Amino acid sequence: MDTSLAEEEFVSSSSIIDLSLSSDNTSAVIVTHQIAKEIGFSDQDQTLLAVVSSELSTNILRYAQKGKVTINTIQKNTQKGIEIIAEDNGPGIENIEMALSEHYSTGDGLGLGLPSVKRIMDEFSIQSIKNKGTIIITRKWKKNSRL
Amino acid sequence: MKKESPSTLTNELSIQILEQIPTPVMAVDKDLKITYLNASGRALLAKDISEIGGVSCKDAFCTSHCGTKECRMLHAMETGKRASSRNEATIQNKKIPIEYTAVPLYNDKQELVGGLEFIIDITNQVINEEKLKEQSRTIREISTPAIKLWDGIVILPVVGVIDSLRAQQMMNAMLAKIMETSAKVIILDIQGVVAVDTAVANHLIKITKATKLMGCKCIISGISPAVAQTIVQLGVDLGDVNTNSTLSDALKEAFIMLKITVSDSAL
Repeated sequence: MDTSLAEEEFVSSSSIIDLSLSSDNTSAVIVTHQIAKEIGFSDQDQTLLAVVSSELSTNILRYAQKGKVTINTIQKNTQKGIEIIAEDNGPGIENIEMALSEHYSTGDGLGLGLPSVKRIMDEFSIQSIKNKGTIIITRKWKKNSRL
Repeated sequence: MKKESPSTLTNELSIQILEQIPTPVMAVDKDLKITYLNASGRALLAKDISEIGGVSCKDAFCTSHCGTKECRMLHAMETGKRASSRNEATIQNKKIPIEYTAVPLYNDKQELVGGLEFIIDITNQVINEEKLKEQSRTIREISTPAIKLWDGIVILPVVGVIDSLRAQQMMNAMLAKIMETSAKVIILDIQGVVAVDTAVANHLIKITKATKLMGCKCIISGISPAVAQTIVQLGVDLGDVNTNSTLSDALKEAFIMLKITVSDSAL
């Protein structure tokens, strides 16, 4: 039995979208939708993943003014997935726990974005340093179709 | 085996090669004083080598990175790795957008002696980017049409992606049209919207509230199955907002609201 490959993950393709204008959000949404479709996610998941990109890029544009979103096609053994990484050098998130709770927003948002992203994605990690920036790494795996 | 030098070039030949490169190449010492600048670099500054030799590079190029931690040359010398970035140089009061790459230079004892910098004038690239931004702005402006569909009914079809700027434009277009046509019902068709995220949902709620203040009812139509599920997933409460799955349903509802009867007897 070969277990050495069990945890091997790799990125097979990567798209980076720089965010600085309000309309750059559009590219993030469209590219994510396209990549999710190529990977073979369902229509519903394509829309949800586009929404995740939209939430993350909107947050960057709203709070950090600029940053970038990277969309990777990832693979672990035979399972394919999508990785959406949002990075900025903005003010950072003061209270991550609060930011991840529903109906909390320091701006005038609904305060549902980040908790939704966490709920939609299979893996979610967030790192934020005050006045240095924030990086959010999220992944969603395509369910392997079994008999 | 004798260790081979990567090149058999003489010093003079190397300099000649650097001189021929059609983009500025500059060498500095550890204190960022210019030790060499090739012909196109001297042409850019419109200065002779005697005028710039030993001058601090920040005084020659006056970029926004100069003297800050952003300086990629310092970065390259510190880390020993190539570093590049976009920047803006100010030469004779003229701002020139540039892209520069810095690499550290070592002597034969592997001691750091300074760095080499390649500078590319990206003026045209920046102009093109600006044009592109301008174009996308134009497209966005013409992509929020508010159309009078019937007496008292205005429709605003929305396609693509809604961001905060566009949502604001939509709101303005709608409110202006309501004023102009004294519409009583406005239909916002979002069938062509790729993704409704929380920010978009928030905008939709705000638009509905604003139209209500103007004495106009707002119906949101074109909610596809995927969008409906997304809104549920997001936990957004569209409670007060009047929604419909198709535009024709929304129109029927508008007719009922305005007590308009449409019959097909004419056919």
